[in-house]
Amino acid sequence: MSTQLTADDVRHLRTGAHFLACAIDPTAIHVYTDMILQAMEHQSLELATVAELAPDDLVVAVGMVTQGLFIADMPPVGDEFLGCINAMEAKLGRRVRAIYSLAAANINGMIPLMVGLQSSLPVIDSDPMGRVFPLISQTTLNIGQVAISPIAMMGVTGERAIVEATNPQRAETLVRALVTELGGWAATAMYPCTAAQLKEHGVHGSVSRMIRIGQIQDAETSVERKYLMLAELLDATRVARARVTHIEGLSRPTDLGLPAQPSSVTLEDESTGQIIRLEIQNEILLVLVDGAIAAAVPDMVTLLNSEHGTVVTLDDVRVGNVVDVLTYPAAAQWYSQAGLALAEPKAFGIPLRHPRRSHA
Amino acid sequence: MRIGLRLRENSCRSLVLDGRTIVSAAREIHAGSIAEALDSALAGLSREFGSGVREITADVGHVLATRNLADVVAVRISPRPPADAFHAASVPPRVEAAVSRTVHVSGGHDMRGRPLAQLDLEAFLAALPSILSGNVRNVAITSVGSTASTDHETRIADAILSNDSEMRISISSDFYSSVFRDRDYTAILNTALMETGEELAATLDAAGQRHFPAATLSFARNDGGRAPLPRLAVAPVHGLRPEPASVILGAATLAGVPNGEVVICTDSGVIVGHLRGGLPAANSLIRQGYEASLASNAAVVESYTANHPIRPDVSSVIADLRIEQTTPPPFGLVPTLPAAQDVALVGCAAAPLTSWIDRLETVSGRTDLEAVQHRAEEDAQSAAVQLGANPGQIHIIESNVFAMPYGNPGIVRIRVQAAGETSGGKERFPTTEARRAAP
Repeated sequence: MSTQLTADDVRHLRTGAHFLACAIDPTAIHVYTDMILQAMEHQSLELATVAELAPDDLVVAVGMVTQGLFIADMPPVGDEFLGCINAMEAKLGRRVRAIYSLAAANINGMIPLMVGLQSSLPVIDSDPMGRVFPLISQTTLNIGQVAISPIAMMGVTGERAIVEATNPQRAETLVRALVTELGGWAATAMYPCTAAQLKEHGVHGSVSRMIRIGQIQDAETSVERKYLMLAELLDATRVARARVTHIEGLSRPTDLGLPAQPSSVTLEDESTGQIIRLEIQNEILLVLVDGAIAAAVPDMVTLLNSEHGTVVTLDDVRVGNVVDVLTYPAAAQWYSQAGLALAEPKAFGIPLRHPRRSHA
Repeated sequence: MRIGLRLRENSCRSLVLDGRTIVSAAREIHAGSIAEALDSALAGLSREFGSGVREITADVGHVLATRNLADVVAVRISPRPPADAFHAASVPPRVEAAVSRTVHVSGGHDMRGRPLAQLDLEAFLAALPSILSGNVRNVAITSVGSTASTDHETRIADAILSNDSEMRISISSDFYSSVFRDRDYTAILNTALMETGEELAATLDAAGQRHFPAATLSFARNDGGRAPLPRLAVAPVHGLRPEPASVILGAATLAGVPNGEVVICTDSGVIVGHLRGGLPAANSLIRQGYEASLASNAAVVESYTANHPIRPDVSSVIADLRIEQTTPPPFGLVPTLPAAQDVALVGCAAAPLTSWIDRLETVSGRTDLEAVQHRAEEDAQSAAVQLGANPGQIHIIESNVFAMPYGNPGIVRIRVQAAGETSGGKERFPTTEARRAAP
């Protein structure tokens, strides 16, 4: 059933979107939240379930693809996503009936709301990642063999491109190269599909999950109570409460065309003395406790301030900080053989298989 | 000896520090103006301590924060102007009210420093006469990607100054943030405060020359350090909120703790900060909720809670600065410093000269990374020397490399802090051994 989102929902969504992608500076989320709240003063915003749409309705993913210039350093001027949707409709000769997030976390968790307000299209409570992955080929729609293209792009300068590639990995390579030359980010519309395809292969309830995370995080209650509620909602585990002892840039070789260079953070557990190691490249990919895998991508990891329970952005991690390392599973599709092939550590250049491989 | 001053519109509070010892407790002079209060305070201290005073550092944050902001023309450089009101850059209301006119200029760079659009200098020059003919004398210039290339900002600044060299200009690349609105906000606020900064610098300089001609005058910075007075006229935002850092530094100075944790009980709550190498641990932004952040290095101060992790191997300083002390401090805290000291003024007096390098670098591997980091450390040391530090007494406090998520491969952020003393100020700054004891 569709829901009219309130201003409080949007504020909680802001918190939840940051929680699910703590590696990325949240400023662009804050900028977009302000825009959305202003726009909502004049117009209502509808969050729909995919089941409410007609099975043949055309739906598209909207989201930013970035490599270089931060979105917060050059916020979109406002016409980019509408331009992408128009280009998609022109290319396919059909009207888009609803939009969904390319990745239900961080800035891409917020953008569909603004686009929904601008276009009056309903926003679907689904996405094809259930988190953020660095590559546009890392989606559950790809697992389901839903075509990624055509991909409509518009960059910071207003320049546009349409990419048509049947192979999602090739699409990723082409889009990433274009994004760099477009200025560092591009608004995109991709994975045009029917509502039925999204229903079958998407991750559902992902927007409302962000709102629920935000409700917990924003609540006037104790940190312990918040952790308990998060554990229940996300099946989360606190792997460690640990002090940062070392931060290392360029800690691993990389040649995979992934944006950004890898880095590592070493921590020491405050009570057990165990050594915790976080391997990072855009996202936290791996958590090792005394050398054993405690979490591995596609598992999700959030760092929390141990005293306040607030999300710690990687930019703010300093030697001496005490953080709680929270891990929780990604959407179920990611633990299939096809899902792990796309998103386990090996896909990020770390020569490890996900522990669930051995149980599959 | 070193003097710490705290200026208000009609008062001047002062304290004299010798090493870690307060030789003259805080006293406050009230008068009809800042100049009178300052003159009276320094005259009294001059009679008492004369030529023994080598450094005078003033906290001017309160005056800067309460003065009316000057009107500002905001020049924003980006490939395209906002298509609607929702997508226009927004700054906090107090600063927004100071912006009398916004001028958009086509231009900007990507993170590699390559132009996203050609700078439309011609269109700007066409608009320039109307900017210069108005009453506004302050301009803030912010360009997309100016952390990677300052070219478009400096060309616009040059165009203005070549037509009117009296204009006060602040360019956003002087303040590190990867967020346009943070730099825009900081540049606007900075230029809006320049006139006040100039006035304060002149007032302090005149009083200093009169009563302590041999002493060096500085203003307290938001990071717990200090900078020479002339910098107050060009970068006043760095002196806008020094007190949190001064409190942390002052308590640590009195306790003789260069590395560890400082807990301060105040009437409005308990805060905690950390000392590292004799200075407060600092962030490059002063965050203000969800609004634009001030791009100025400032001490990290958090509220203390019942969940605060206790670590026996880390030195801890606890100061109770509550006016009303009829009840014990909360959380079972036991003060380790005597009460009733103006620790913020101690921190102000003790502040060393600090400099920062915060910039993007392109690296091709680990060796390259080490080279650019080393170069940044040398540049930070050079910057400290330019501020007046003795080259033999400069220390690197922080030297970090940050990966940039979803950035261009090979581009990293390098952030280095150096601190030092003038040749006469070596008594407070911690020894190399003490600094190495940092956790």
